[in-house]
Amino acid sequence: MAASYVDELHESFSTDIKYRSEDVPLNCVPPAKEIEATLHGVMKLNGLVIRSLEEIAGRGANAVTFRAGKKFGHEVAKYFQKRDDIEDALHELSDLLRGQYSFEVWKPADSDTFIIEEGGERFIYLVFHDCIVRQTLRRNGQEQAGALCQTLCGYVVGAIEEITGMRAKLEIMHTGPNACLKKLILK
Amino acid sequence: MIEINVDKESCVGCGLCVKDCPMKVFELKEGLSVPMRPQDCMGCLSCHEICPAQALEHKGVYPAKRHYIDIRVCEMLNRVI
Repeated sequence: MAASYVDELHESFSTDIKYRSEDVPLNCVPPAKEIEATLHGVMKLNGLVIRSLEEIAGRGANAVTFRAGKKFGHEVAKYFQKRDDIEDALHELSDLLRGQYSFEVWKPADSDTFIIEEGGERFIYLVFHDCIVRQTLRRNGQEQAGALCQTLCGYVVGAIEEITGMRAKLEIMHTGPNACLKKLILK
Repeated sequence: MIEINVDKESCVGCGLCVKDCPMKVFELKEGLSVPMRPQDCMGCLSCHEICPAQALEHKGVYPAKRHYIDIRVCEMLNRVI
């Protein structure tokens, strides 16, 4: 390796910036446009991890990712205020997920309430609009509703369980390029 | 509420949107797709993607944030368009 290259490398990492512990960063550096390649790299890597997991673990991949998501949901939501009311809990959850996922509580036009009781089940429809999982899958040309989607299902279930103390289940009803319909079953 | 328009000239009446929509928004009438229950549309745009004739138009949909576009490619395409 030529010495000049090593010098150049050292030079590129040397600055006069004073880093103090009280300096709180207020902006992402560099701006998003400059980290596009990094974002694409992370999405590609995530997609490949999931694809490999599905190849090796088969249907077990869903259980692994769901559990990972659920642990994450419990972990994050334990610092949130506990709620008995499911609507309050969902409001709390939307704050929790903001920036990664955005969702709205949804009902068909002929239904009077958001909490629907049908066939002995009590459930709420959630429409997920912004979702990093969907973005990753579509970036990589992978199918939706697979193992990576289960991380989000686990996340929501874990967070709801933590906030309300109730057991819950999230079923994927439909996936689309712009939004996905999910059913939150309350137990 | 979301408004859905079907271009009657383009629609080939394949019925893919009817089959795909989880809320049964569309029905086939006289060989054309008709949005019968647009009030039940949640804006997933599956029908939009699946339509081979690109005959559908949705107004009032919240567009999900897209992180996966290639900015340089889009800039180039915009220059051409």
